[in-house]
Amino acid sequence: MANNSTGIAQSVDPSRLELTDNTGTQGVLRGHRCKSCNVSVFGLATFCQSCTSNDLEPIQLDKQGTLYSYTVVRVPPREWPGRVPYTLGEVELPEGPHVLAEVIECAYSDIKIGMQMDLAIELVSIPENNRVISVYKWKPS
Amino acid sequence: MVQFKPGREVVVAGVGLHPFGRFPERDLASLARDAVTEALVDGGIKWSDIPVAYFGHVYYQGMSIGETALSALGLTGIPIINVENACSSGSTAFWQAYWGVTTGMFDLALAFGAEKVPSGPVTVTASESPERYIGSDHMMAGYALRMRRYMEETGATDRSLAQVAVKARQNATLNPFAHRNEIYTIEEVLESRLIADPLTLFQCCPTSEGSAAAVLCAKESLKKYGIDEERSISISAAVLRSGNYNGRGSDHSAFSPYRTEPAAIEAYQSSNINPEEVDLVQVHDASTIGELQQLESLHLIEKGEAWKATESGRTALNGDIPTNTDGGLLAMGHPFGATGIRMIHETVTQLRQEAGDRQVNGRHGSPSSGPKIGLAQCSGAGDVTTVHILSK
Repeated sequence: MANNSTGIAQSVDPSRLELTDNTGTQGVLRGHRCKSCNVSVFGLATFCQSCTSNDLEPIQLDKQGTLYSYTVVRVPPREWPGRVPYTLGEVELPEGPHVLAEVIECAYSDIKIGMQMDLAIELVSIPENNRVISVYKWKPS
Repeated sequence: MVQFKPGREVVVAGVGLHPFGRFPERDLASLARDAVTEALVDGGIKWSDIPVAYFGHVYYQGMSIGETALSALGLTGIPIINVENACSSGSTAFWQAYWGVTTGMFDLALAFGAEKVPSGPVTVTASESPERYIGSDHMMAGYALRMRRYMEETGATDRSLAQVAVKARQNATLNPFAHRNEIYTIEEVLESRLIADPLTLFQCCPTSEGSAAAVLCAKESLKKYGIDEERSISISAAVLRSGNYNGRGSDHSAFSPYRTEPAAIEAYQSSNINPEEVDLVQVHDASTIGELQQLESLHLIEKGEAWKATESGRTALNGDIPTNTDGGLLAMGHPFGATGIRMIHETVTQLRQEAGDRQVNGRHGSPSSGPKIGLAQCSGAGDVTTVHILSK
């Protein structure tokens, strides 16, 4: 990813999160849909993961999904630049794919499997390389 | 479903194992070498007869470590292949050795694995990958997601999950090679430090160092190499698969907790063995939930029921589906490259009835005849899974 010395925020992964303005806090989740079998995947695809057809179209995925599972990570991996502990949520999108991301703005006592979650985007500083990136998160609807 | 056609019968002729634990004074190559020499001695096999070697390991600690490890045994110029398939690197090495022997490419093959896993949470992506910043690249967090969902769907209790860890430690007290053999109660397991809740420290396998090795031989060639047929154990199935489309995504192991299922079906079909005939099983219990979901994927226990089977003692050494009889990843520890072959070592040892205090009879064996069929299942990140079935 390019250095953001211009001050414009960079997406943590442009193939999965497309920023839609210069604030770095607005964006959409990207994926691909197979026109042969209708399966959708999150992020990159060359051939359909299900039927291997190459008749794919890029799509924008829903900004809302259902919480499938969650965990509170108390021992974070190296290079995690955020809060400790943090809540990792697995959200199921209506199109099918599950998306893992931090759950924010939600007290632990309020988290329930099945709750509706909205896409959120936060600016995150990465100390090791002085970058500021936009990272997708989930927050309660 | 069955993709590859086996040729001639292949047996495991010799096995070796270095204890798992922490050995700061030993380098990877020397650990590997110990297991290899033990396997050669165990089978009465000459190093100069080995025509090929596959070495499973994950972490970069220099290039061509397989070659370095084996050079001290004698530079015979044979092809040596270093194999990486995450936690199933060792099983992948074993799988490659099997298929080469069965198809007639070579009569004998060495499969060995070793690892020195650094302490701390395990991640599968490279440094500065997006997943590090998204927070999803955390092996145990992935298991925790699976565990919470499993508990929600099946009603499995905290205690039943903890019992998997208690059983592992109990089995390990009967195994001098294990990294961890302090006994814990269910309460101590549940009260140990939370890693990613509901997973507590004692429900996660320790990071470890160690090595294991196996020598495979065509059954029809045993005499030619002077190997004792009595202690050789037949390989009835060898399956390696990567992930199929699972509906949720391919970018995290948490999305496919039952990915072993197609591999299990293939293994049973290709060997003509039913799950009911399996006397003992080693599965990938990197965490307690892992054991439960693997047992269900393997059709050894009905989906959603493995937690009850654990509670009722079915998976204990004296149960009808003894699982992870040497303590598994949870108590043996998990040096990535070694684990898959450690499972082969344990299965072979049990089928030879040389497991001492942890010897099982299984559902079909009796104290005099012993278990007949053992299954070893080992997974890896990237949705890899291996299933090997051994029989006496």
